[in-house]
Amino acid sequence: MTAATLFQSILASLPEIVVVTGACILLILGQLVPKGQGYFLVWASAATVLVAALATLLLAGEVRPAYSGMFIADRFAVFFKMVFYLSTILTFLLSRKYAEIEEIALSEYYVLLLFALSGMMIMASATDLLSIYVGLELVALSTYVLTGFLRKERRSNEAALKYVILSGVSTGIFLYGVSLIYGLTGTTQLDGMAAAVTGDPLDPGLLLAVVFIVAGLAFKVGAVPFHMWVPDVYEGAPTTITAFMSVGPKAAGFAVILRVFLNPLVAASDAWIIVAVIAVVTMALGSFVALVQDNFKRLLAYSSIAHAGFALFGVVAGGADGIASVMLYLLIYAFMNLGIFGIVIMMRNGDFSGEVIEDYAGFARSHPGLALLMLLYLFSLAGIPPTAGFFAKFYVLVALVERGFVMLALIAVLLSAVAAYFYIRIVMVIYMREPEGAFDPALTLSVRATLAITAAGTIGIGLFPAWFLRLAQHSAFGG
Amino acid sequence: MAFPLLSLIVFIPAAGAAVLMLLRNDDQVRWTALGVTVLDFALCIAMLAGFDTTTHEMQFTETRPWVPALGITYALGIDGISALFVFLTALLGWICVLASWVAIDRKVKEFMVSLLAMQALMLGVFCALDLFLFYVFWEAMLIPMYVIIGVWGGDGRVYAAFKFFLYTLAGSLLFLIGVIVLYFHGGETFDIRALMAQDLPFRVQSWLFFAFLIAFAVKVPMVPVHTWLPDAHVQAPTAGSIILAGVLLKMGAYGFLRFSLPMLPEASLYYSTLMLSLSALAIVYGGLLALAQDDLKKLVAYSSISHMGFVTLGIFTLNLRGLEGGILQMFNHGVTTGALFLFVGLIYERTHTRSIADYGGLMKAAPVYTTFLALFALSSMALPGTNSFVGELLVLSGAFAANLAVGAAAVLGALLGAAYLLGMYRKVALGPASVGVRFKIRDVNARELVAILPLAVFVLWVGLYPKPFLNIIGPSVRHLLTQVHSNGGGQ
Repeated sequence: MTAATLFQSILASLPEIVVVTGACILLILGQLVPKGQGYFLVWASAATVLVAALATLLLAGEVRPAYSGMFIADRFAVFFKMVFYLSTILTFLLSRKYAEIEEIALSEYYVLLLFALSGMMIMASATDLLSIYVGLELVALSTYVLTGFLRKERRSNEAALKYVILSGVSTGIFLYGVSLIYGLTGTTQLDGMAAAVTGDPLDPGLLLAVVFIVAGLAFKVGAVPFHMWVPDVYEGAPTTITAFMSVGPKAAGFAVILRVFLNPLVAASDAWIIVAVIAVVTMALGSFVALVQDNFKRLLAYSSIAHAGFALFGVVAGGADGIASVMLYLLIYAFMNLGIFGIVIMMRNGDFSGEVIEDYAGFARSHPGLALLMLLYLFSLAGIPPTAGFFAKFYVLVALVERGFVMLALIAVLLSAVAAYFYIRIVMVIYMREPEGAFDPALTLSVRATLAITAAGTIGIGLFPAWFLRLAQHSAFGG
Repeated sequence: MAFPLLSLIVFIPAAGAAVLMLLRNDDQVRWTALGVTVLDFALCIAMLAGFDTTTHEMQFTETRPWVPALGITYALGIDGISALFVFLTALLGWICVLASWVAIDRKVKEFMVSLLAMQALMLGVFCALDLFLFYVFWEAMLIPMYVIIGVWGGDGRVYAAFKFFLYTLAGSLLFLIGVIVLYFHGGETFDIRALMAQDLPFRVQSWLFFAFLIAFAVKVPMVPVHTWLPDAHVQAPTAGSIILAGVLLKMGAYGFLRFSLPMLPEASLYYSTLMLSLSALAIVYGGLLALAQDDLKKLVAYSSISHMGFVTLGIFTLNLRGLEGGILQMFNHGVTTGALFLFVGLIYERTHTRSIADYGGLMKAAPVYTTFLALFALSSMALPGTNSFVGELLVLSGAFAANLAVGAAAVLGALLGAAYLLGMYRKVALGPASVGVRFKIRDVNARELVAILPLAVFVLWVGLYPKPFLNIIGPSVRHLLTQVHSNGGGQ
């Protein structure tokens, strides 16, 4: 590797380098900052992300392959990185007060989030099964520690343990698929894979390898049958981390899935049938099981399974519109899901956990404004216009019908009617019941800012989707 | 671009809702809501004044790009059919505000905001010329209506709100798939006018027809997907019932007129017998159910099912008289049943009972009330001289031309209507004055009279001189018929 190509590679991965360097510096600074100066860490972390975002935007102009085909900085990656930055910054803003209340405001908390972010960024840019693996593990390890951050709580420890074991198994499956690919084609580069197949592209060995890779990735996005960890981990983790995991790493998982599925090798195999089945079952399971949940975090966990199922329908649709529909879906999901999680996080104050749905009875009477926001996020999650959630689903359906999958679109739509039921049930609790206790939300300025941003995104993209749609389509073609 | 009259009509209530959010005083809220709805109504009258009744073309059109990548535009426009319903919606708008003046005594601001939001969305549905825009309005209506029933409704409101929401959502989602399929078969556009010009293969039309049918049948509602309606009606506050009966139920029939007939003419012709039978079933079944009710509101709710049966019956006769009658009947039903719900609400405010058995001899205690009640009851049973007579007569003559058996069944339904309405009136208004003993009844006051009078005027106006109304819809109906028969003529 010459100095020039090395420089090019460094340039292409500048945002990742910024984030990792920032995280390392903060790791050291965190030990030096005196107690009670926690806000410094928040703002320093946020600043790191903003610098990375700036670097990403400056580099967005052209496609830059780097590190001998292991890594690429293209518009597809830029789009996903923006989703990651958004979810990370909003998580920082939501975390500040919550971390103090839960007594987990350690510098490692923010540093680990930054490391998870860098892992997600690598996943979005990876063009080699091995660099995908590196990103995947970086995210998994960071979030594993963060899940167990509530050290005094048993369920948090349990969740972390469950996560690390199951995640390890899924990584094993993924790596097995990678090794099969390497054995059959002699390459791990996504571009090289299709070209390297000399014989039948429907070789059972290759199909098996693809199945293993799909299985490993399905775990990361919480798709059935690898979803078992999601409710427990989401419930046990600190709520801010749950919010983060449901948006950021999940989007990263989809980035990888899309990259792999853009690959002609996979496209030539009949893997889409597997994905279609996974999508249907995932959405059905998420929607139906969510119906009987009493715990808000668990409900949102199942809801996120259902949403992953819906986004997978976009993967099934494939093609430029299919890919763009998944990307837009994830962006919109980031806004609305962080919004609703923001409310749950804000409710954690004093003795109030904010986790039991029944506890929200009569919330509309005591806090009409916040209740209206909840209404907005919930209707958006349910996919009712004119919210962004509707447009997200609409575009996936358009992509499905465009490819002739009308039956699948019909199934998706009927299952979202089921899913609507449990979102509306929460609306009912907050609007149509008498309040039982007083509410004292931990409504700091940064939480307000988060809610404002997410609300603006949820309603703004719903009313004016054109620009975001163009962005997603534009970015998808670049992949 | 011309003066955006329709945008103003649609968004003035929405802007009004935003203004209401800032107000603190309940009375200020009421007067502002009234002011906004009256202003909107005035604009609608101006719209009708400038409406050209000689053409079937869309008027007052506005088009702006919205999501160009998918061919979605912000397009508004009205023809004769929609003009009538825009007018009806705006008329009922301020009547609803008046009807909830004292009936709603908690969270007044939130209620009026929901009411105005609802009005904006309903007007949007009738004005939309883009299928996507239509769907957004159509589906978004669920939110305020759900809240209106669920927050201000009666004791069983939560169940009723849920049922309403899920029924209509499930129906609408099938419609959404139909819309997307139509989009790809119709040349990747959501423009309603362009889609009307498409000639789709019969197989596609059939599928779309049933996808649309489910959505529209839930809204109408047609038997057997009508069960949400009595629940929703009984639990909803008076204004909610008026909106439901007056406008919301029209959405389904409007969907048939705007989409099924012109876009799927072959399928509409092919399945018209099925639709006629379903309509006749609704007329008779709804009438029988109404006959068996003791609850005033339930009686009116079931009579709605029967009356909406006449509407769909008229539409699917697919001849001129039937169609004109069906559309006129939609308007009439909005006026008459809206008024009946208003009357049920008025008496309920005073007595807090809806059981017919609790009343009797109301005539002595409230002469003005019972006089107007008589007028609307007679209108509901289509006595000559009232609005429904004209509509039902047209529908029936169309129905007999289309299918003898269905026409006969519809006549039976009309008879049933006379039976339950006369029975209701006898038990409530006539007889010994038992009600005055138990309840302190006062007659309607000036505010209530202001809400009642315009409805009474329309009952008589349409009943005695329907020509202006038929003039408005005439060209559009004739054009619709040519669309159906020339494009679907192959069958």
